[in-house]
Amino acid sequence: MSSLDASLAPPPLPAEAALGRWSSWSDRLNPILVREVQQAVKGRMFAAAILIALGVTVMIAVYIASNHDPNGNSGQGAFEAGLATLVPLALFVVPMQAYQSMRLELRSGIVEQLLLSRLRPVQILSGKLQAALVQFVLFVAVVAPTLATSYLLRGVDLPTIATSLALAGLACIAATMLAVSSAAQSRNAATQALANIGTAFGLGVGTFSVVGLVLSGEFTNGLAALLRSGEFWRVASGVVVVVGYGSLLAALSARAFLLHAFENKATPFRVALFAAPLLGCVWASLAFWRMGAAPVIAALCFGLLLLSLAFGLFFVTEQRELSPRVRAHVPATSLLALLTAPLLPGRDRGLLCFLLFVVINSVVAMLAVNAIGAGAWGGSWNSFRDIYCFTAGYGCIYLGIGRALRQRLPNTLGGNHAGRILLPMCVMAFMLVPVLIDVFVHGAPRQWHWGHVMNPFWTITHFERWTGSGAGPSPTGVPLVFLLMVVGMVLLQLPACLHGVREVLAASAARRQRQLPVVAPPSPSPSA
Amino acid sequence: MTTPLLEVQNLCRSYGKVQAVRDLSFTMHRGQITGFVGPNGAGKTTTMRIAATLDVPDSGDVTIDGVSVLVEPRAARALIGYMSDQFHPYPNLDVLEYLDFFARANGLLGEQRARTVRSVASFCGLLGFADRPATGLSKGMGQRLHLAKTLLHDPQLLILDEPASGLDPRARIEFRNLLKELAAAGKAILISSHILPELGEMCDSVVVVEKGRRIVSGSIADIEKTVQNDQVVVLRALGGTESLQRFLLTQPDVGQLVVDGDRVRFPFAADDEALADLLARAIGAGLRVVEFGRGAVDLEDIFLKTTKGNLQ
Ligand SMILES: Nc1ncnc2c1ncn2[C@@H]1O[C@H](COP(=O)(O)OP(=O)(O)OP(=O)(O)O)[C@@H](O)[C@H]1O
Ligand SMILES: [Mg+2]
Repeated sequence: MSSLDASLAPPPLPAEAALGRWSSWSDRLNPILVREVQQAVKGRMFAAAILIALGVTVMIAVYIASNHDPNGNSGQGAFEAGLATLVPLALFVVPMQAYQSMRLELRSGIVEQLLLSRLRPVQILSGKLQAALVQFVLFVAVVAPTLATSYLLRGVDLPTIATSLALAGLACIAATMLAVSSAAQSRNAATQALANIGTAFGLGVGTFSVVGLVLSGEFTNGLAALLRSGEFWRVASGVVVVVGYGSLLAALSARAFLLHAFENKATPFRVALFAAPLLGCVWASLAFWRMGAAPVIAALCFGLLLLSLAFGLFFVTEQRELSPRVRAHVPATSLLALLTAPLLPGRDRGLLCFLLFVVINSVVAMLAVNAIGAGAWGGSWNSFRDIYCFTAGYGCIYLGIGRALRQRLPNTLGGNHAGRILLPMCVMAFMLVPVLIDVFVHGAPRQWHWGHVMNPFWTITHFERWTGSGAGPSPTGVPLVFLLMVVGMVLLQLPACLHGVREVLAASAARRQRQLPVVAPPSPSPSA
Repeated sequence: MTTPLLEVQNLCRSYGKVQAVRDLSFTMHRGQITGFVGPNGAGKTTTMRIAATLDVPDSGDVTIDGVSVLVEPRAARALIGYMSDQFHPYPNLDVLEYLDFFARANGLLGEQRARTVRSVASFCGLLGFADRPATGLSKGMGQRLHLAKTLLHDPQLLILDEPASGLDPRARIEFRNLLKELAAAGKAILISSHILPELGEMCDSVVVVEKGRRIVSGSIADIEKTVQNDQVVVLRALGGTESLQRFLLTQPDVGQLVVDGDRVRFPFAADDEALADLLARAIGAGLRVVEFGRGAVDLEDIFLKTTKGNLQ
């Protein structure tokens, strides 16, 4: 308001003085956090939750005091009651509050006002998360006396209390991120009802089961056993890595819904996919240092292959072309453009990205297996190799089909969603139709035959059973035919992948062209 | 001529089969207030949302001070203040807290934030309502708060979608004066409204759209001239309409006569020069003329003349 400042700067108001004290130290905080706290302080919901939690803790305290048995384990009972009070708050109340606040902003278009400000979607999400954490800390403070009492009654030791609180905090973060993410998805009207029911139901069921686990005493005993065993750090770090990665994906998908339509939403997901084997290797090497991490890495690679199929479904059903914004920002150097091409949005590049991931992941898996020495695995190594190769091959075939299918759908966002539903249906059809033909033509489903070659589950089991026993109809041709199918599909899709790369290179060339200084046309020399 | 602040180039946007915006182009300069008018469903909101980076076109582009909203949406957002046709404040926040939050969201810090919030609130006449809950404001005060929020980051271009709907006459006049002050401070304002006399009072140019297409655009004065040429002329003379009609039927450029009491109305398809001659001839013919002239042209006439009332 520079233009208005000079003429219209009235003296501070009384209401502003209160705001001023608060704002002087809140300057560096996330604006969303500041606002959520201001709203919570004035709202009734938060006060009610605190009062109820306080009431419950007081009741627990009174109950313990009146039933105290110096020789019994009332300490553990107090701990479990305190934890069971905290769990619904951390797993249901806090995430639901974040969900509701996100929903309100999306429904009434407030989020558009936020997006027009300088706040980035990531800041909006982290503000929500921070607000959730502040609430969590307050709720912990409310149940803290109960937990402290349980310690004083010698029911539980400090590590158990600390680990339980850390786990509750982690669960609270993950649940909040999931809730906020599912609220953000409901920007899309079609998924709104589903998101509402799914979130409330999921959080409710999760809360009930955890409360049940805590009250039955199994949680405390299990945790204590784990703490005593040497497995604790392995399990704890694994949980942290998985929950962290899951929360990251939830945050990325929420962010994608909040970004401008032409912004690059794909690259973070592709980087996250490529980072997963690296992260997995680092974690496995550290956690299984003494025991040899190779089998864990090999198993991880198979898990990541399955995960990449889910990623791939989204990659190959994106819009085809680069958006004007992404096109204007591709790397200017052609080498960098070439290297980053598989990471850039667009279904052609998406398929290329999936293929590259399969190659890299397979190399990591192979190195891990080599490190163990295939002999150490015995027959299970062959099995692992076969299942891995079949899964990767079916991934390539079906995602190739998915890309081609998407190509035939309208070039709209609706087309993307349709592609994401049609591809799994297409897999189902390839599995069901041969079975139905068998039933109607031959009266009953027969044994595996070539008609079932597109059925991943049956083909893999059939092949495994045969290599295991050497009996039954010989599928010796299966690996060969399957290999030909995979290679054929990859070759068929190659022009599209190349088109995707060429588009990036062209955009890069155009960018270099724009960056050239505009040279004035040479003036005709006097002699000419 | 300086470069335009807002340039809409061949914008197209369809929703399924409905083509909300078709090949729409127009420009706006600093200090200009442009009215954006058209029947319901003409594509005004759609165009404004695209310019405000909240929607994307199927083709075409919008640049703000040379920045494309499709290539640099974040940079463009810093230049625009968009006031949508709906306002939903946060619950459990008072007016000052609401403005303070958006000032933070716009990256204003410390003393500067406090000063900006104060001056914007005072400019929009909100100081008396500083500690009222933002959700409990009347429609008019809500619109002021919405405008104040829009002004916090000192945008160059204001895009206002029906900002005056639901305001009482006094609030409307005050709102109009606020906008005039902002334009005088060098901001460009694109404003859509169905209250045409209102727009005519403050706009210096207008873009009329119908079914997503531009029908006319330009300064109101220029458009008035073109519309005026086939504006109806009213003539009243003493001594009844009989002699009047007899005289007019012999005159060139005079269209179908309509008798309305003791007046005669007729479309006149020539310029003011010819109209003056017609009056001279009428007096020369002995008619005792007491009333003669074209009806005044306003935005409403422009709107009715240029649009066909086709809704989509
Ligand atoms: N999100 C949407 N989905 C489907 N159709 C839409 C959507 N938004 C706008 N339309 C259609 O596009 C056309 C233009 O709508 P728009 O809201 O831009 O008109 P408008 O000029 O602002 O009308 P009004 O004066 O009533 O506000 C309308 O036919 C409308 O039905
Ligand atoms: Mg509208």
